[in-house]
Amino acid sequence: MYKFRKFLRALPAKLFLLLALIILFSFFANDFALVDIQKTAIILAAGVDRTEGGFRVTAQIAVPKSGDRTAGGTSGVEIAGEGESVAACFAQIYSKTGWVPKLVFCNLLLLGEETGKEDVLPCLDYFLRNEYMPDSCLVAVCAGEAGEFLSSKSAIDDLSSGAAQSLFSDAAEKSGRVMKCSLKEFTVGYFGASGSSYTPFLRRIAAEGERNAGGGSGGSGGSGAPQGDSVYSAAETAIFQKGRMVAVLPPEETFAFALLKGRVFASAFDVEEAGETVSLSILKNSGKVAFTAKGAPQAELSVTLNVRLAGRDTPATVGEIARSIPSPAVLAAAEDLLQARLTALWERCKSAGCDLLHFARTLQRNAPKQYAQYGKQVLSLTRVSVKARVHAVK
Amino acid sequence: MNKIKSRQLYLYFLAIAPVGKLVLMPTQLAVYAGNDLLFPAAANIVLQSAVIFFVMLLARRNKSLYALVEARLGSIAGKLVCTLFSLFFLYAALLPLLEQKLMVQSVFYDTLPSTIAFAPFFLLSAYLCAKPLSSLGRAWDVLAPLSIAGFSGIVLLSAGGADFGALKPVFGQGGWGFLRGSAYTMSWFFDSALALSFLGKVEYKAGMAWKSALCYLAGGAAVLLFLALFYGTFAEVSVRQLFAFTKTAKYFSGVAVLGRVDYLFIFALALVMAFYCALPMQASVDCVREAFAPKNRILHNVLAILVNAGLLLGLWLLNFDFLSTSTAIAKTLFWIFPVFTVLLPLILLAFGRDRVQVS
Repeated sequence: MYKFRKFLRALPAKLFLLLALIILFSFFANDFALVDIQKTAIILAAGVDRTEGGFRVTAQIAVPKSGDRTAGGTSGVEIAGEGESVAACFAQIYSKTGWVPKLVFCNLLLLGEETGKEDVLPCLDYFLRNEYMPDSCLVAVCAGEAGEFLSSKSAIDDLSSGAAQSLFSDAAEKSGRVMKCSLKEFTVGYFGASGSSYTPFLRRIAAEGERNAGGGSGGSGGSGAPQGDSVYSAAETAIFQKGRMVAVLPPEETFAFALLKGRVFASAFDVEEAGETVSLSILKNSGKVAFTAKGAPQAELSVTLNVRLAGRDTPATVGEIARSIPSPAVLAAAEDLLQARLTALWERCKSAGCDLLHFARTLQRNAPKQYAQYGKQVLSLTRVSVKARVHAVK
Repeated sequence: MNKIKSRQLYLYFLAIAPVGKLVLMPTQLAVYAGNDLLFPAAANIVLQSAVIFFVMLLARRNKSLYALVEARLGSIAGKLVCTLFSLFFLYAALLPLLEQKLMVQSVFYDTLPSTIAFAPFFLLSAYLCAKPLSSLGRAWDVLAPLSIAGFSGIVLLSAGGADFGALKPVFGQGGWGFLRGSAYTMSWFFDSALALSFLGKVEYKAGMAWKSALCYLAGGAAVLLFLALFYGTFAEVSVRQLFAFTKTAKYFSGVAVLGRVDYLFIFALALVMAFYCALPMQASVDCVREAFAPKNRILHNVLAILVNAGLLLGLWLLNFDFLSTSTAIAKTLFWIFPVFTVLLPLILLAFGRDRVQVS
């Protein structure tokens, strides 16, 4: 009886605590993240182009696929807004649709080619400051206008942004053919001592006939763009200095850059040996940029690969196809090829004035006094050597 | 027995107190001390642990803050000191509350929810304020493992993406950066003042002073580890990364495949933070209750309701003034914190020493 009375005395407090915990849980749970899609524009990708008066933002908004109910999936609609700022563009999108633009699912920020030629931070600042926008969102530059790119029809996906993002998978990155970059990585590079960043450079290619669209000529407005379904390529890399796109690395230099980063695995590249093409498969890659400021600044770009023979373009005997170890001549040719590509990469960065390999950052971190002395001229003062080592996996 | 166990006290210093330093303090440190953010934080941690050591020496007297002052300076002085500390705890509670509210609204919601959405927190804190400290002590038993698991999870997921080279050059920001970083983050270090409010409510054990200080240092080391991870992850853009502990783990490569698994750990730490935020409010109510009506339960409950209603109103009024409020607390009025967390505890220690008995 005493225990029951004690229980009854404590009951109101316990019920109060229970109620408080339930309501508190509902606060933390955000209504279990239910989204009213009738009132919300779920933005999957945003394209930013500069206009004479400011910016044009094209938002690819997810809409449930109509028609075949069993197929499910998502399709998209592109809505553009113009204004003096990116925020004003989104406000216009809101006023056009009546849907609250929601950036929490935005995984791709696309910048038009012309937009990239001026400092892109004003385009990205809104997204960087937005607490509801994931800064793991990927940034890319495309040939022509971003709005046109997002509105293009993909041959492999219902959404152009989905097709573009599939180029940035981990597997694609490990192939060394794509250098993806998130909003966070881009801005860390922008504000760092080197002031350099990079993004993939996207091109549209006609799905049939594979006619090159844009062609790197820098023309905006999509002249020469394929009219039908497209596939996309991200084999080139746009490099930035202080937020301004200063050059585009061709696929070979993009590959060399990926090797320097040491990210390549299970990829293949071709080497010429006595007029014969030999394919080598990369099983292990390590890359390093060693910078030293003792005396005159020097840097060594080194890449080490462990490779296996992946194929030849000439008929071979049964005995030869059993061998997967490349010959010393092939390995030497591979080393020459990689050294040439690394040199080309460095020369392009130097001529564009882009500290892509972070010499200034390394100098600032390890030798602040020297950085204060000649940090701004580090690109022109640094003597660079390249070294490529290719080993056969036995 | 309305006293907290020594174990619960150690768990608080080790695993609960550090959680409050993981939200906005890393950003604030990055603003003022840049890549040297570890040094001002370490200075504040060492200072706090030293004061906690001295405060806990008083615990063996088994007297509350009010009783200690009253015994030396009389009841009026006791009431005055307790009222001052009560007001200080209310003031100190503001920043953690604002942090917690904004963090939940920004991280767990994908558009800004209404202001009133945070109100349920005050139901829980009102309950905790109306209860003795021993209730919170039992909560710490449960929350400490949760905090350790949440923190470990975030550290493990964040470690791979951090570039610790960003912390170089060491002491590149100079003495001015160190001083500003130390001063403007003092508002996150009021644990020694809270330790004063624990006096008389802790079961004293031999070695409690140095064990408390050591646990605080261990928790502080965890904060320093997180700060290094934070700056290693965001480098120069750390200054824009609010709600630090919710940000670092999302770059873990598995997140792309599994989704935001780091939310499990963030959720755990957010829950611990809710109880951490309630502690200064509880201490505020306790100080007044002890000084004016230690046995009056009705007054205790009324005070708990008034404090929570007042802070709810304050938070509602300051809803769109977070920046100016946090600047006022952390920057303009930063000196209030060392007065209550260092100066007054040391003065009390000097007054509270045992008199030498001469026979």
